[in-house]
Amino acid sequence: MPGARSLLLVGVVLALAATMGAAWLHEMRPQSVVKPASQTVSTRAEKPQSPALTADEERFATALWAVHRDATRSAVAMSFAGIAYQTENRDARALARSIEPLAKFFHDAEIEVRTMSPPPSLSKTHGQYVEAMGLYANAAAEMLKFTEDGDSQRLDVAHRLDVRASEDMLRVGEVLWPGQYKPH
Amino acid sequence: MGRRALRIRPFTWTAAIAALACLFGAAAHAQQPVCSAWLIESSRFMNVPFGAFMPDRAFVPGSTKPESSIPTVDLPVNVGVIKCGSELILYDTGWKQQEYLKMTGSDHWAPLPDQLKALGFNAADVTKVVIGHAHWDHAGQLSDLPNAVLYVQREELRAIEWALNYPEPHIRAINSDPGGCYRTPACGYMPLTIEEVYGKVLKGKAVIVDGEMEILPGVRIHPAFRAHTAGSQLLEVPTAIGKLVFGSDAFSSYEAIRDWMTANVQQTDTVQQFLAYEKCYKITGGYNNCVAAHEPLSYTDKYPLTKNSWVALNGGRMAEITLAPGEKSRKP
Repeated sequence: MPGARSLLLVGVVLALAATMGAAWLHEMRPQSVVKPASQTVSTRAEKPQSPALTADEERFATALWAVHRDATRSAVAMSFAGIAYQTENRDARALARSIEPLAKFFHDAEIEVRTMSPPPSLSKTHGQYVEAMGLYANAAAEMLKFTEDGDSQRLDVAHRLDVRASEDMLRVGEVLWPGQYKPH
Repeated sequence: MGRRALRIRPFTWTAAIAALACLFGAAAHAQQPVCSAWLIESSRFMNVPFGAFMPDRAFVPGSTKPESSIPTVDLPVNVGVIKCGSELILYDTGWKQQEYLKMTGSDHWAPLPDQLKALGFNAADVTKVVIGHAHWDHAGQLSDLPNAVLYVQREELRAIEWALNYPEPHIRAINSDPGGCYRTPACGYMPLTIEEVYGKVLKGKAVIVDGEMEILPGVRIHPAFRAHTAGSQLLEVPTAIGKLVFGSDAFSSYEAIRDWMTANVQQTDTVQQFLAYEKCYKITGGYNNCVAAHEPLSYTDKYPLTKNSWVALNGGRMAEITLAPGEKSRKP
């Protein structure tokens, strides 16, 4: 029996020592920041970022932005001219009045952008933007022809050109203005 | 006797008409479909500062308050999939990725037709699309739903057009950085998105809605003007777990609806956003059946409506919210 008592005593002492040791380790460990579980988790690996633009590229991006800001607005205005025609008045003259300034804008923008001198690294991007302006100009021309001859096929053609132009502008934006659209 | 019979007759007729009205009313109510509903994570905006999404949850360094302790959140872009009998309805359509992924700092995007396929649906079978509003991250991919009729509020279109033609360039700006718009009236309505809206109009597949509209028995559009954008709209859907209300960005956050906080202020009148929350409380009897577009807790137990979830294409998540009687589960 005394042997059993000794064993029990040793066991109790060991358990107490282990508890104290664990407590000491816990106290000595640096405190981690407590984060609420499900709202801060962002476990994806960082995606490789494109290299920052060089000074020459920045200058080109800034110059093109001046055109792009108005081109974006004009592109949306062209969609709205079509929406208004279809849903409100079916007035070809009103449609023509809306489209004429946009046709001029895109015609002029194509010329202006074409004459810009991008750094060699952005020649493809530059070409895409020139093409986008041209597509918009052609779309506006098709819509104007529709106001003259009433051939609704022209509106379908214009729509397809607009979609292609919009996608081209996005591709350019990916390179030059990556902060262009925020979560909405 | 004859006179008495004549005196009784109007009462008899009235009673009979009332009885018939009750009968037909009940029958009409019984005919209302009970719909099934799923939620698709179209994509996820990563590492968004919490304060940019919910001002009252802004991170305060060193603060011990739980509401101020979260620096960033990942925001899902949720799309509602609703099946009512043979009708397949989408509420919002996410955005269409071209080559501008890094613009938005987003991840987990997959094409909507592929995501629908993963749920066992065909994009060509979508009959109706209700967009909560026309921002680029909610009204994309419309051309990939060739047979769907689009429902958009006239007020939404009118307000964009007004802003586009405003003389002050900041107010009519559409693009954000550098030096462009941020929460101004035309901000976020990008050319591709609006051209796809026009594409639906051009093909005769758009309904321009003025306020409230029942698009199927019991499935009702409610205006929520200025609750996020000028022409925001909600969608009430009858289901086996009670009515759901899909809110797009008028209901950006479930926690915000529960705790009465504003969220995702863009072209938003916060008073109208709170009134939109109230509408959900009134229609559904609480906040649990309000379906939020960007709730960070989506697809977890902390947003109970969406907890029956799984990971699908490209890491995007899906949830089965409720099934109509006889509808089989689509959860893998």
